[in-house]
Amino acid sequence: MAAPARRPFRLAAFLERESVFSWLMLTPPVLFLLAFLGYPFIYGVYLSFFHKEVARAAEFVGFGNFVKLNNDPIFWQAVRNTIIFTGVATVLKAGGGLGMALVMNQSFKMKSFARAMLLLPFIVPTVLSTVAWQWILDPGMGLFNRLLVVSGLATTGPSWLGTPTMAMISIIMVNTWRGLPFFGISILAGLQTIPVDLHESATIDGAGTWGRFRYVTLPSLLPVILIVTTFSIVITFFDFQLVYVLTGGGPANSTHLMATYAYSLSMGAGQMGLGSAVALSMVPVLGLLLVLLTLFVRKD
Amino acid sequence: MAKPARSKATRRDFLKLAAAGAAGVAAGPFISRNAQAQPKTITFARESSYVKNFDVHFQNVMMPAYEKATGIKIDYQIQAAGGSAVPQLVSMVENKTGADVAWVQQEWLYRDALVDVSDIAEEVGRQQGGWYDEIKRLSVDKGKWKSVPKGNIGQLMNYRKDWFDEAGVKSFPETWDEFLEAGIKLKAKGHPFGMSMGHGFADNYSWLYPLLWSYGVTVMDKDGKKVALDSSETAKAVEYVKKLYKEACIEDCIGWLDPANNKAFLTGQISCTNNAYSIMVSAKRDLPEMGKVIEHGLNPKGPNGQRYHALVPVTHGIFAHSKDVKAAKDFLRWIMDPKQYRPWIASGDMYFAPYLHAFDKVPEWDIEPRVKPFQKVLETGKLTSWPAPANRQHGEVINRWIVIDMFTKAITGTPTKNAIAEAVSQIKAIYG
Repeated sequence: MAAPARRPFRLAAFLERESVFSWLMLTPPVLFLLAFLGYPFIYGVYLSFFHKEVARAAEFVGFGNFVKLNNDPIFWQAVRNTIIFTGVATVLKAGGGLGMALVMNQSFKMKSFARAMLLLPFIVPTVLSTVAWQWILDPGMGLFNRLLVVSGLATTGPSWLGTPTMAMISIIMVNTWRGLPFFGISILAGLQTIPVDLHESATIDGAGTWGRFRYVTLPSLLPVILIVTTFSIVITFFDFQLVYVLTGGGPANSTHLMATYAYSLSMGAGQMGLGSAVALSMVPVLGLLLVLLTLFVRKD
Repeated sequence: MAKPARSKATRRDFLKLAAAGAAGVAAGPFISRNAQAQPKTITFARESSYVKNFDVHFQNVMMPAYEKATGIKIDYQIQAAGGSAVPQLVSMVENKTGADVAWVQQEWLYRDALVDVSDIAEEVGRQQGGWYDEIKRLSVDKGKWKSVPKGNIGQLMNYRKDWFDEAGVKSFPETWDEFLEAGIKLKAKGHPFGMSMGHGFADNYSWLYPLLWSYGVTVMDKDGKKVALDSSETAKAVEYVKKLYKEACIEDCIGWLDPANNKAFLTGQISCTNNAYSIMVSAKRDLPEMGKVIEHGLNPKGPNGQRYHALVPVTHGIFAHSKDVKAAKDFLRWIMDPKQYRPWIASGDMYFAPYLHAFDKVPEWDIEPRVKPFQKVLETGKLTSWPAPANRQHGEVINRWIVIDMFTKAITGTPTKNAIAEAVSQIKAIYG
C-alpha cells in the first residue's frame, strides 16, 4: 500500500485557511488598538502613580497623587460638575431623542430631508460647531439674545457664559444639541423594528395612544435606549472640546470637568502624574454612573 | 461555481496588496531618513503672530537669506495661537522630537530640556545696549540663560476715546478709583468696560496682577518661599474688583477666554479692556472708523501710588533633543543679530517690543503714536511671578487660574475672606 502523498506546503493556501485568514485580518486592528489606545492607557495608569513633571524624571509616589487630589477642592468641584453635566445632558438627550424619533417615525413631506438635516449637529466637527455657539451665546451680538430682544421677551438677554449657573446650563445645552441626533436616529431604528401587530392587538385590547406608547413602544425600545444611553454617558463624561472652547472651565471653575482639569494639570501646569491621576479617577466615577444606570433600568 | 473562485481571487489580491503596503511602510523610515540626510534643515516653531507681516517678513526675507548664506533650510512651523502651542511644546519635550528652536512659551515647565544659550544672550546684550533686568529673571535659570528673549507683547488698557469724551472723561484715569468712576459713567451711557476674568492666558492676569501689586500685594514673597497673598490689602483689592465688575463692567467678562474681549470691543459692546494692541490692528484693517478712535492707556496707579504692568514675554530656546545644537545656536545667533533682528522687529510694528536698551530711542517706536505707550510696559512691567522666581510652581498658579478665580469667586458670591483663604491654601499646596 503506497503511503498517501504529502501535499506540498503552499503559502497561499495556508494563508487562505479560515483560521489563519481571520487572524490575519484581525491583527492590524488589534495592533492599532494596542498602539493607540492600549499604550496611552497603560502609560497613563503608570504615570498616575508617579510624581512626573515635564522634562523631569518620574519619581514613584504610590497613591500620593490620589491623596493630593482628595485634598484638592477644585478636583472635587470638577467631579461634581462632571456628574451634573453628564447626568442632565444625558437625560435631556434621551428624552429629546425619544421625542425626535417619534416625530421622525411619522409620515410627512420631506421626511428624508428632515432626517438628514437632524444629523448635522452630530456630523459637524465639535470644535467648529462650538465656535459657532460662541457667537450664538454672545451677550450683545449673539443670536439668542438678539431674538430675545427683538421679540420683546427681554430688554437685555442673560449672560450665557458669564455666570456659573448659566455657563453650566449653556454647556449642557450645547452638548445636548450635539448629542441629540445620536439618540434620535438610534431610537428611530429601534422604533422601526417594533412589529405593527403588537400595536394592533394593543389597540384591540383598548389601549389609547398613551397606553400603546407606555406598554408597547417603550418596553420594546428599552434595550436600544439602554445601549445608546450607556454610549452617551461615556462620550459625555469624557467631553473636553466643548468646554475647552466655550469656557476653559470658568468662570471660577464652575464648568471645569474632570477632562478639562486633567488637561490643565498635565499640559498647563506640567504635572503629568497628577493630571493622569485625575484622568484615571474618571474610570471609577464613570463605572459608578453606569452601575446606577443599570440598576435603575432593572428596577424599571 | 464562479462565485467561490472570484472570492478566492479577491482574498489573494487583498493579501498581495496588503503585503505590498506593509513593505512600503517598512521601507518608509529608510527612505525618509535618506531624504533628510541631504539638505540640512532647522525646524523653528512659533505661535502665529497677530501682526501677519511679522511672519511674512520671516518667511519671505529671512528664511531665503539664511538658506543663501548657509545652505541650511528653515522649516518654519507656525502653531495656531490661542493656547495650543504649550501642549505642543510639552509633547516635543516629552517625546524628545520636533522643533530644534522654538518660541518657548512657559519655559519654566521644561527648562531642563533646553540647552544653555548664555553665550548668545550675553553677546546680544553686550551688542545691543543690555537687557532689561526683569526679563533676566525668566530667561536665566541657576546662573545660565536657558532662552534668548525676543520681545514683549505689551498689554495695556484699550479704550474708545470717543465714548470716553462723550461721558466727560477727558483723559485716561490715573488711579484705579478714577478708573471705576469713569467705568460707572460709561456704563450708564451703555458702554460698559469689559475686563477679562475668565480662564484665558493673558488678558485676565495682565490687569488683575498689576492691580494687586498696586495695592501693595504680591502672591509670594521675594524668595518664593512664603505666600504673601494673605493680607488685608488683598481683601481691599478684591472688594475693588467686585465693585468694578458690578458697577462698570459687562456681565459676561468673568467667563471670557482671550479672544472674547477683542470680539466684544470690535462689536462695540465695551468701551475699555486690557489687551495687546491687536484690537487696534484689527480695527484699522476692518473697521477704519473705529480704528481712528481707539487709544491705549497705562494701567492706573493703586493706593501705593505705583503703576505696574504685566510682561507677556516671547523667548526663543533650543531643545536639548535637537540633532545639531551647534547649527541651532548659529541660527539663533543669526536672527538676533541687529542686521536681521531690527528689520524683523520693525516688520511687526513693535508688537514684540525688544527687552534691549538699544531699542529705547529707535524711530520704530514712532511709526504710530498709539503704539508708543507700549514702551512704558517694558519700564514698569513685571513677570507674573514677581517678585518671586518664575518657576514651575508659579506657572501652576497661573495655569490653574488660582488668583484669577479668587476674584471671580468673590464676585459670584463667595465671601471675600473665604475666596482669599481658598486661594492661599491652594497656593500653599502647589508650593508644597
